[in-house]
Amino acid sequence: MKLAWLRSQDGAHDDSLWTTTWVPATDDSPALLLTGSLDETVKLWNPEDLSLIRTNTGHCLGVISVAAHPSGKIAASASIDSFVRVFDVESNNTIATLEAAPSEVWQLQFNPQGTVLAVAGGGSASVKLWNTAEWKLVGTLSIPRPEGVKHSEKSGTKKFVLSVAWSPDGRQLACGSMDGTISVFDVARAKFLHHLEGHSMPVRSLVFSPVDSRVLISASDDGHVNMYDVEGKTLFVSMSGHSSWVLSVDVSPDGAAIATGSSDKTVRLWDPKMRAAVQSMTNHTDQVWGVMFRPPGGTGVRTVQLASVSDDKSISLYEYS
Amino acid sequence: MEETEDSLLIQLQQLVDSNPDDSSLHFNLAVYLWENSKEIKSIKEKAAEHFVISAKLNPHNPDAFRYLGDYYSQVSLDSTRALKCYQRALSLSLNDSYIGESICDLLDKEGKESLEIAVCRDASEKSPRAFWAFRRLGFLQVHQKKYSEAVQSLQHAIRGYPTSADLWEALGLAYQQLGMLTAAIKSYGRAIELEDSRVFALIESGNIFLMLGSFTKGVEQFHEALHISPKNVAAHYGLASGLLSLSKECINSGAFKWGASLLEEASEIAKASTNLAGSISSIWKLHGDIQLTYAKCYPWMDDNQGLQDDEIAFRNSVLSWQRTCLSAAVSASHSYQRALHLAPWQANIYIDIGIAVDAICSLKEDEKHNLYALQLPEKMTLGGLFLEGYNNEFWVALGCLSPDAALKQHAFIRSLQLDVSLAAAWAYLGKLYRKEGDKQLAQEAFDRARSIDPSLALPWAGMSADSYTRDIKVDEAYECCLRAVQIMPIADYQIGLANLALLSGNLSSSQVFGAVRQALQRAPHYPESYNLNGLVYEARHDYHTAAIYYRLAQSAICALGRGSKSSLRDISTNLARSLCKAGNAVDAIVECEYLKKEGILDSKGMQIYAFSLWQLGKNDLVLSAVRTLASSVLSLEKTSVAGCISFICRLLYYVSGQESAIKSITKMPKDLFQSSKVSFVVSAIHALDQHNQLDSVVSSSRSSLTSTEEITGMHFLIALGKLVKHGSESCLGIQNGVNHLRKTLHMYPNSGLIRNLLSYLLLCSREWNDIHIATRCFVICASDFQKEENFKSPFEILGAGAVACYNSGNHNDKLSLPTCRDRSLSGQEAFLQLQKWLRQEPWNRNARYLLILNYLQKARKERFPRHLCILLERLISVALSDQLHSKRDQYQKFQLLLCSSEICLQGKDYTGCITHAKNASKILLPDSYLFFAHLLLCRAYAAKGNFSSLNEEFIRCLELKTNYHIGWIGLKYMESRYKIQNVSSKIELNFEECSKEIQYSWHMWMAVYNLVQGLIAIWSQDYLQAEAFLSQACSFASEESCIFLCHGAICMELAKLQCDSQFLSLALKSLKRAKGTSPTPLPIVSLLLAQVEGSFGSQTKWENNLGLEWFSWPPELRPAELFLQKHLLSQQLTVSDLTSTVEFNKKSLKWILQAIHMNPSCFRYWKVLERFM
Repeated sequence: MKLAWLRSQDGAHDDSLWTTTWVPATDDSPALLLTGSLDETVKLWNPEDLSLIRTNTGHCLGVISVAAHPSGKIAASASIDSFVRVFDVESNNTIATLEAAPSEVWQLQFNPQGTVLAVAGGGSASVKLWNTAEWKLVGTLSIPRPEGVKHSEKSGTKKFVLSVAWSPDGRQLACGSMDGTISVFDVARAKFLHHLEGHSMPVRSLVFSPVDSRVLISASDDGHVNMYDVEGKTLFVSMSGHSSWVLSVDVSPDGAAIATGSSDKTVRLWDPKMRAAVQSMTNHTDQVWGVMFRPPGGTGVRTVQLASVSDDKSISLYEYS
Repeated sequence: MEETEDSLLIQLQQLVDSNPDDSSLHFNLAVYLWENSKEIKSIKEKAAEHFVISAKLNPHNPDAFRYLGDYYSQVSLDSTRALKCYQRALSLSLNDSYIGESICDLLDKEGKESLEIAVCRDASEKSPRAFWAFRRLGFLQVHQKKYSEAVQSLQHAIRGYPTSADLWEALGLAYQQLGMLTAAIKSYGRAIELEDSRVFALIESGNIFLMLGSFTKGVEQFHEALHISPKNVAAHYGLASGLLSLSKECINSGAFKWGASLLEEASEIAKASTNLAGSISSIWKLHGDIQLTYAKCYPWMDDNQGLQDDEIAFRNSVLSWQRTCLSAAVSASHSYQRALHLAPWQANIYIDIGIAVDAICSLKEDEKHNLYALQLPEKMTLGGLFLEGYNNEFWVALGCLSPDAALKQHAFIRSLQLDVSLAAAWAYLGKLYRKEGDKQLAQEAFDRARSIDPSLALPWAGMSADSYTRDIKVDEAYECCLRAVQIMPIADYQIGLANLALLSGNLSSSQVFGAVRQALQRAPHYPESYNLNGLVYEARHDYHTAAIYYRLAQSAICALGRGSKSSLRDISTNLARSLCKAGNAVDAIVECEYLKKEGILDSKGMQIYAFSLWQLGKNDLVLSAVRTLASSVLSLEKTSVAGCISFICRLLYYVSGQESAIKSITKMPKDLFQSSKVSFVVSAIHALDQHNQLDSVVSSSRSSLTSTEEITGMHFLIALGKLVKHGSESCLGIQNGVNHLRKTLHMYPNSGLIRNLLSYLLLCSREWNDIHIATRCFVICASDFQKEENFKSPFEILGAGAVACYNSGNHNDKLSLPTCRDRSLSGQEAFLQLQKWLRQEPWNRNARYLLILNYLQKARKERFPRHLCILLERLISVALSDQLHSKRDQYQKFQLLLCSSEICLQGKDYTGCITHAKNASKILLPDSYLFFAHLLLCRAYAAKGNFSSLNEEFIRCLELKTNYHIGWIGLKYMESRYKIQNVSSKIELNFEECSKEIQYSWHMWMAVYNLVQGLIAIWSQDYLQAEAFLSQACSFASEESCIFLCHGAICMELAKLQCDSQFLSLALKSLKRAKGTSPTPLPIVSLLLAQVEGSFGSQTKWENNLGLEWFSWPPELRPAELFLQKHLLSQQLTVSDLTSTVEFNKKSLKWILQAIHMNPSCFRYWKVLERFM
């Protein structure tokens, strides 16, 4: 289990890179890398040589999240002004523009079936679901207000929803909030199931294990990476090692390794069985906002790659083996 | 049909008859007869005759011999002859699998295995294409357990029969037996791929997966096998053991619920397989293992609400958990006994029974006193040892299970004699010694165990438990214990970890949280686990939940009869504190009074009691509590004295006011204040005291501050104190604070705290240029994000500073006039920084607010383009919809409403503008702020053309007054623009009034005011008046190039209008001044200078200045006028120098044409061109 640095692209954007995702391979195109930045653009890259394919403009403030449809044909990007732009990856034609109140759009995530786009609803303390056929708002999963807290209190800001993740079967959805709790929902019944506790600071990133949908992995400002048994509602592994906020987390396709990006400027690879980081990449010179493993599939790709983006305006690619 | 056959037969017969020496004809006839024999023996015999003839005639036809072989083996049952014929055939055609198989079958039937192998080997050696031989050989070799040879044969055979599942399966088996497990899995996988009903391959590959530790994959295989063959015992067994291993993996990582659910499934499957094959001991053993693991992992579920209020329900819940564990342990013991019954020679089952019985004992309360029950595990273990006395692990088991210390030690040492590197034995030995109180030996044993096997949890736990004797720090002990917990999530370790976390301040860590939650699942009968859960929740500021757990801890003590009085006191104190923190003072007091009644209220409890009373406003009781506390101070431990004293001081201040608190403090003995904590409290009170009564106390207590952090913190406090002490009623003495901080910063240049406060104070101060300094004082570093309780985050200061001096010094913007002397961060950069801040803390309302303000500045700079306005409107509407309550929020709301109003005004939505401004004017804020709402209303009414309302609002402004200069300047504009009468003097008076408050830079404001008056005079084309105002402005601000530029320009205009060279020289002076004071080349200045110099007739100076001007513009932005000047200049030169007229004329023409190209609407250029032509 190790990472080997492959290549980097310095100055990929004019300013901090804030988010990244892999666009899955299609019949005529390999998997591509999509990045979003404070410079208000979204860029599409060829991972082979990190050459720029296209720059998408149109956002008025920094881009905070990008997401790719599992088909690899559509992608979405969101910025601080809370416009979500859905576009065709190949042609960059706008397919839809979804609008929400500012501060009510944060992370985006398509469900594995590609029928729903989940939007972490920030200050609205909910996750908004948009269907991908007509781009209509089809549901709102709200975090229930804790008992005994009056309406007037600032629970809205406490439950600010930062991150969202779908279980591999698309039945469950988890969202992480600013107060460190994670909420789990049953999507089909639009029902809140339960909270997962353990973090004491904002949960920036969440991901379900692709191998076992019981396992949810979270990254938080408290510097810990936690693993939860979602059905059993328990925190069973908590790993520390980053000296600052953990901003992003992803699981390798084989489910054996976890990668994280942090404010301490490192990308780390974790072995959950050892409960410790096994490797730390220090090639970035500023905080790392996004890490993501390349999804399996596509022709001619034998190894698993990991991409990371950082405030130092660069993209890095690693080989995971 | 018959007929044709018959005719064919006759034909063949005739052919044979006619050519009796042709072997092929005989063969054909024989084959025909053989095939159509219809199992009639006589015909077959006839066919055989012809085969014999054919073979005799042509001894090289293998088929003839083959058929003969068939005949002898099947019809005449003469195996010797058959064999001979086949062998003959084989020698002729080695690769024919039919022949080969027939021989082998024949030999097999007769049991001649060695001959069979010889035949196959012979064939395989002779021909590499005799795949049948390799296949047969491979199978036989597998059968004879010659696996490495078999692998070769089978691999060769697979080349001939690549789709034979049998071959792949056999190859898999061979690999498996050779220990090449991955290769075996691949081979089995191929067999399953070819035929998905291969149960053997499925089960065996499942077994291999289990062996390799890929339990999930193994379980999948067994599921598949069971699907095909639902009664297969091996598959059942494999599935159950796979699930057991999987659950153990879960349990070891702490996922008890998950593990338990897997075990439930495993137990069912194992049970089902005992029904299928109840006489196999290993299945019973497996079932026992599953049940025992279940007994040791079944978690108590604490998610039923309301247990803390219902003691009976709580008790029942714990008891039912205990019963479930017990019944699982009993079931395990029964299963083991069955296994033993079936295979009494298996020593390890004795041990298993011992362990199961031990588990039962530990779960059954009443068994604790039953001596026989206690000895039973030991006895069973001894049974195992009788059978296998050399097994060192059995000795360890004996050591663990025996109740007798001496026997324990003997057992461990015995096992170590058998294997000195048995880490577990060392570890248990260490535990034993520790229990016996021999710490030195314990430490040695643990160290040895740890060095042999660092992945054993017990030695790590032992090390952390011995932290006192080992003289290691709490942090290190915590780390050791954390390691133990991570290796093995056992409740004892987890509780120890939480206790260490309490000491080392790690309580809010996720790791501790996970550990205590897990501890609760396995030790619900133990009050300490609830107490620690409460502490952890308290550390995470969830006081409500913390209180619930403390109550549960109390219930655990009372209902389950565990725990001592001192632990009850600690828990109740914790509960009271938590309730108090949760704001539930009433309940906190109830708890404290209960403790008081019991007589166990200590000083900590007393503090909580006093604090709760204070919260409820019962001041008399508070004071009496404080007195009790104060009297107990001297008897306290040294570490808690400081906390107690500072608590008393603070409470006194809040209850009886500043004066009385100061009096009490002066009365207290001074040596009590020798602590940094107390020093801060006393200094804070001192800071608010105008009479400095505490001087001596404070100065003596400050000697206890040691760390840099404390000292800078104290300077921070002193600076704040100076603000209060030197300020007046309405205004803080900011300058004093700033001065103090400057000195401090000199001593501690890397203190972020001091820098932040300094820049914040500078921002608050209203001196000229302070804002620029402010934006340069603070430093933004990534770690600042993490400090939550920062006084003011650097970002906030940056944002506020950027709004305040949003200059146009932007590198991208070519049109910029760098007029601001002190350039700080450019607006764009601050704008990006603010977005970064918002990305970090999206919930932060201040970030959003400052971003909006900066965005407004950006929009203002770009003259309010439509898209920016829309975005701003959206941002503001959301920011306004947030509930805003505090005083500071009110101010923000006011600002946001003004922003919104401004945008409406720019978008010509006057009604919206007026509504927003009116809303803003209704907010409860000082008049000084409200002034601006009305000023905006003035502008709105003016734009709308409603002059009566304009007048009203104007008068309202005058009534409200503001102490912000810019407000009066705005009002001045309105006055002159809309000709409002009789107020001019009033504005001027007010303006001067508020200038007085500023000490150092009032002249700057005076200059600005004069500048504005000058500009107003220019509007009314009263240039002389304008010149007077501007020259006054120049005299106030001798450093501002722009004012000089204005003055110069107006002087030039006057010179032109009045043809007075006196103004020209004035202009020259001002422009030179402007040029001299400007930090960067200022455009236009040189151009004007050039013109002035030109009119004075100094051609070289004209040329020089023009050159300067030329380069102070970016090439693409040079104004048309500049080209005209160039043209004029070049013409002058042409006149003086006649040598290359044509050349110069050409150039001259180019200049003027370029000027016209730039600005074709200017009639003057055309005229010049006309003249030139």
